[in-house]
Amino acid sequence: MAKQILSFTVNDEPVDVLVQPYVTLLDALREDLGLTGPKEGCGTGDCGACTVHLDGKPVASCLMLAMQARGHAVRTIEGLGAIGALHPLQDAFVRLGVPQCGFCIPGVLMAAAAVLAETKHPTEEDIRYGIAGNLCRCTGYTKMIAAISEAAEVVTQGAAR
Amino acid sequence: MRRFDLATPDNIDDCLKLLAERPAETKLVAGGTDLLPQMKNGLIKPARVIDLSGVPEVHVLAPDDGRGVRVGAAVTARQLERDPRIQSTYRSLAESGALVGSIQVRNLATVGGNICNAAPSADMAPPLVALDAEAVIAGPTGRRRVPMAAFFTGVRRTVLAPDELLLEFSVPAPGPHSGGCYLRHTPRRELDIAVVGVASQVTLADGVCTKARICLAAVATTPVRATAAEQALEGQRLTPQLIEQAATLAIEAAKPISDQRGSVEFRRHLVRVLTRRTLTTALARASA
Amino acid sequence: MSTMKTTRDVRGIGISIPRPDGPEKVTGRVQYVADIKPKGLLHAKLLRSPHAHARIVSIDASKARALPGVRAVLTAADIPELKRKAPTRAHAVLAIDRAVFAGQPVAAVAADEPSIAEEALDLIEVRYEVLKAAVDPLESMKPGAPPVADTGTEADTSEALAHSAVAMAKSDDAPAKAVNVSQTAHVKRGEVAKGFAESDVVIENTYRVPMVHQGYLEPHAVLAEWDSTGQLTLWASTQGSFNTRSEVADVLGIEENRIKVIPVECGGGFGGKIRALCEPITALLARATGRPVRYVMTRREELEAGMPAPQVIIRLKTGVKRDGTLMALEAETVLETGAFSGTVLAVAAVFLGSLYRWPAFDIKGSEVLTHKPSVAAYRAPVAPQTIFAIDSQMEQLARALGVDSAEFRARHLSRPGEPMVNNQPWASMGAPEVLQKAAEHPIWRARAEWKASGGNGHGLRGTGLSLGGWLGGLQPTGATVRLNPDGTLAVLTGQVDIAGTNIALAQIAATAYGVDIDKVKITTGDTDVAPVTGLSAGSKTIYTVGVAVMQAAQDARKQTLEIAAGELEAAVHDLEIVDGRVVVRGMPDRGVTLASIGKKGNLYMSKIPPVLGSAHPAFTQQAPAFAAQIARIEVDPDTGEVKLHDFVTVQDVGKAINPLAVEGQMQGGAVQSLGMAMTEALMYDDSGRLTNPSLLDYRKLTAADLPNLETIIVEVPSPAGPFGARGVGEPPIIPAPAAIANAIHDATGCRLTELPLTPERIALALIAR
Repeated sequence: MAKQILSFTVNDEPVDVLVQPYVTLLDALREDLGLTGPKEGCGTGDCGACTVHLDGKPVASCLMLAMQARGHAVRTIEGLGAIGALHPLQDAFVRLGVPQCGFCIPGVLMAAAAVLAETKHPTEEDIRYGIAGNLCRCTGYTKMIAAISEAAEVVTQGAAR
Repeated sequence: MRRFDLATPDNIDDCLKLLAERPAETKLVAGGTDLLPQMKNGLIKPARVIDLSGVPEVHVLAPDDGRGVRVGAAVTARQLERDPRIQSTYRSLAESGALVGSIQVRNLATVGGNICNAAPSADMAPPLVALDAEAVIAGPTGRRRVPMAAFFTGVRRTVLAPDELLLEFSVPAPGPHSGGCYLRHTPRRELDIAVVGVASQVTLADGVCTKARICLAAVATTPVRATAAEQALEGQRLTPQLIEQAATLAIEAAKPISDQRGSVEFRRHLVRVLTRRTLTTALARASA
Repeated sequence: MSTMKTTRDVRGIGISIPRPDGPEKVTGRVQYVADIKPKGLLHAKLLRSPHAHARIVSIDASKARALPGVRAVLTAADIPELKRKAPTRAHAVLAIDRAVFAGQPVAAVAADEPSIAEEALDLIEVRYEVLKAAVDPLESMKPGAPPVADTGTEADTSEALAHSAVAMAKSDDAPAKAVNVSQTAHVKRGEVAKGFAESDVVIENTYRVPMVHQGYLEPHAVLAEWDSTGQLTLWASTQGSFNTRSEVADVLGIEENRIKVIPVECGGGFGGKIRALCEPITALLARATGRPVRYVMTRREELEAGMPAPQVIIRLKTGVKRDGTLMALEAETVLETGAFSGTVLAVAAVFLGSLYRWPAFDIKGSEVLTHKPSVAAYRAPVAPQTIFAIDSQMEQLARALGVDSAEFRARHLSRPGEPMVNNQPWASMGAPEVLQKAAEHPIWRARAEWKASGGNGHGLRGTGLSLGGWLGGLQPTGATVRLNPDGTLAVLTGQVDIAGTNIALAQIAATAYGVDIDKVKITTGDTDVAPVTGLSAGSKTIYTVGVAVMQAAQDARKQTLEIAAGELEAAVHDLEIVDGRVVVRGMPDRGVTLASIGKKGNLYMSKIPPVLGSAHPAFTQQAPAFAAQIARIEVDPDTGEVKLHDFVTVQDVGKAINPLAVEGQMQGGAVQSLGMAMTEALMYDDSGRLTNPSLLDYRKLTAADLPNLETIIVEVPSPAGPFGARGVGEPPIIPAPAAIANAIHDATGCRLTELPLTPERIALALIAR
């Protein structure tokens, strides 16, 4: 089984990387590209820890074959914001004390970013359903909802300027 | 997952040729949301996988010469959930798409995958059956069409031959004064799988029901139509009492088992409840 | 031991400060074990028994060894260190001649790629002789049941002592032992038969809570590497690096000094990552291959072969007089521990018999072995299950008497100083205050109106309340505090920071020493460099490590002031630390900077020693902590679905060092409690195989299933905790099952006594009415 060339865009950068045909997108991102932000919590699409954006849409990267991303644009948590230049969601999560063990956080932030891209003023219900595919065992979700709500206002105001 | 070869054809004919080479050892992947978990569990160990993501023919979502809609096998649950035409005219199909897994799963999961995986609990099957849809199948000798009501032959079994591929669904427009609804019962609000699912579709003429279709999921080895209930409704005005009778008759079509998701008793009870609720909503939508 | 009481400036305590590792976590920069990829890394996979009980007739690994890319295959035959009778689960590295639970490791592979390792597992041929399995604990207790333990295996009570610190009085007339009964306990007081005879109302129920998984998002993971001198390094996802080191040393038969455990960021533990599990086999594969080996459990393996919470079955009989006097309580508790002993019997007895004042009680407990994966702790082990029983019962007694159930609990609640079942007195605890606060909550007050608003287009509406608590763990520990040459502080502990305790420790150190919090750095050291530290578990991190850090900071402060006193020619008691300087009180110009003291302690030929504060306390005094929860629900009468409208947690934390972190603990614990109450169960078939080994059918609650979780902090200071703090982690997981059951009872009139309280159970109960 020869490796294949996966050509796609990752966090706004064009990438060509050799991957085994039988690895998932999650594995390729983590092992071949060193982007360990997305996590494997279950491998079967039932926990959301592996959430990345595929052409702007949140997907379970553990359920995609890496080669299925060819020609597409993928964004991981590493492409949402960086220390010193945090996305409003990341900033709100930090200030409101959201992360505990932190394992679910990259996936939740990517799901939340998709909610904000879709809806200017998401209701609590919009947000809850927007991250319903992300299991968290530490926080009980309440502070996440508050942080996402706050960030939505920042994003809307920022866009309005 | 164990190792396998991967083919990435960019058209349907190459795809069929590849499939014909070693059909018994080959699996097709579109969304992967059923296939990959099964491969990771070692239930399926294909030597080769054919990726459909680059095959344009299975991604179509377009009107069908004004007589209905063509839904490609690789159309995602999320697309069905959000497409305005599906929402307005084929509402039960949009509702079933909206219930699959989570957003992250729905952006990958395909209607074709859901149908070909043929789990008894497949959410998108009852609406397709209730809408009298047909499966368009491509094989080495050409194309054929199979009504959805005849597509499933058992648990995880369909009429597809190993060298055949599901191309698309042809869903006829239900006609004016029609309404449909899909509901399922699950213990959680997301990331779950149907304990029982019901799709109801009705068409009215001058307030009388001219056509009724009720299809049940997760209560038999395949999705199953509640024909006795349908017959009780056709030709009648749909009063709450008649709906209740139909809901009770629907139980007869169900042959549920007791498993960790639900007991026989609870499933039979849910068939009545969900049939009543989906018929009531379908009627309201048809009357609007 | 000294505690900070009143006069010290408490700036820094009671302030909500976000965790300093927040930015790293939200950018995906924090590394967990699975993110570490050294050169030459090999991947491990384990072959597991499909049978709950089977004799291993033969294993042929030759084809697996021949697969290109496979670097090692191990079976028990390759590991002479393995004890024939494994005393604990960790010692059962690979099954020797018998598999005792479905999922037990039988062989291990290390390969260049995970996919190759998986294929290698397929090539290992194992012949089993399937044996009859003991699957139901009540059946397993009977004589003639298939035996689980190898004869001679002792009951393992180490977990009990680590968590509850309650020693049970040994009783001569403990229940007779059957072959799979590995622990028994019996406590009694007074005459229960007489008590029941004099009761006007007697209620008896059997409560059942299945095995549940701790549910941490990060599966068990470990990376092992040996160096050329025979030193083993383990990067582990663990709640206690020193405990891991000790267990691995014992299992492998090597000295602890030959092992370094580096606690990597832990993606959740909740008790499931206290005991060693994957570390020994990974270390053995690393030794066999001479390369670093990483093993990460799949979710399926976690559910099938993790270390879940025990199944708990409690038959509970209670009698009261019409005027509400408690008369007698009788209980039989069965804890199913799986294939190895490890439950905490004592906790159940304490909360059954002495949370409320029962004049007469007779409580028997049995730990029962079955052919299932053995259990470990899960956040307040056995307490949620026990409170489910006793609180449901108290609610039913109150209803039978026609009295307010919150008042009924308050009336009979034990008070500090009154005896627990083991005749030791209850320590200071805030249960009455918590209950009072809950009873005053508007949601509880409005319960009649809420119920009356049910129907008419709405579902059946109800409200439920429950009270539970945790005794609080104790474990000796140590900490050091150094003054840096620039006047900042470096604090070293071995404490794994799971709950955000590091920021609280920084707050404690800063306050105890006298600097701003941002001048304090907390380092979690590995087992080579840190002082011996206990588990991040048992709700005791702040309670014990907080004290150690506080005392070490006080010690460092004392040393600093003594040095300054010499420089300033002043008396120590005239000095204070303000804005980074030691100054003479009232004379701000007479002072020296902390930096100057720090520099002198590291200067060539200096006579000034470096400031190094240290403390290594042990503890005797527990600080019980209580929580009450209120649930407002609406039940769909047709489907049995429960919509949770509101959920409140009231908790006594003694002193909230960092309220932001405390709220997070309360909310997280509440959702675990609700999961146990409503959706979670490990389900086994008659042959002992898990039927729901995925997160599709092992249902944890999602954000869409929950409302905002309200938290109310109560502060009843503990005598010995730092600034009066109590442990925070465990109480919030305890009350919800009873609260939900009580709410369902209120809404529907149906009393359910088996968890989880699924829609099916509710719908069928309604149909049966």
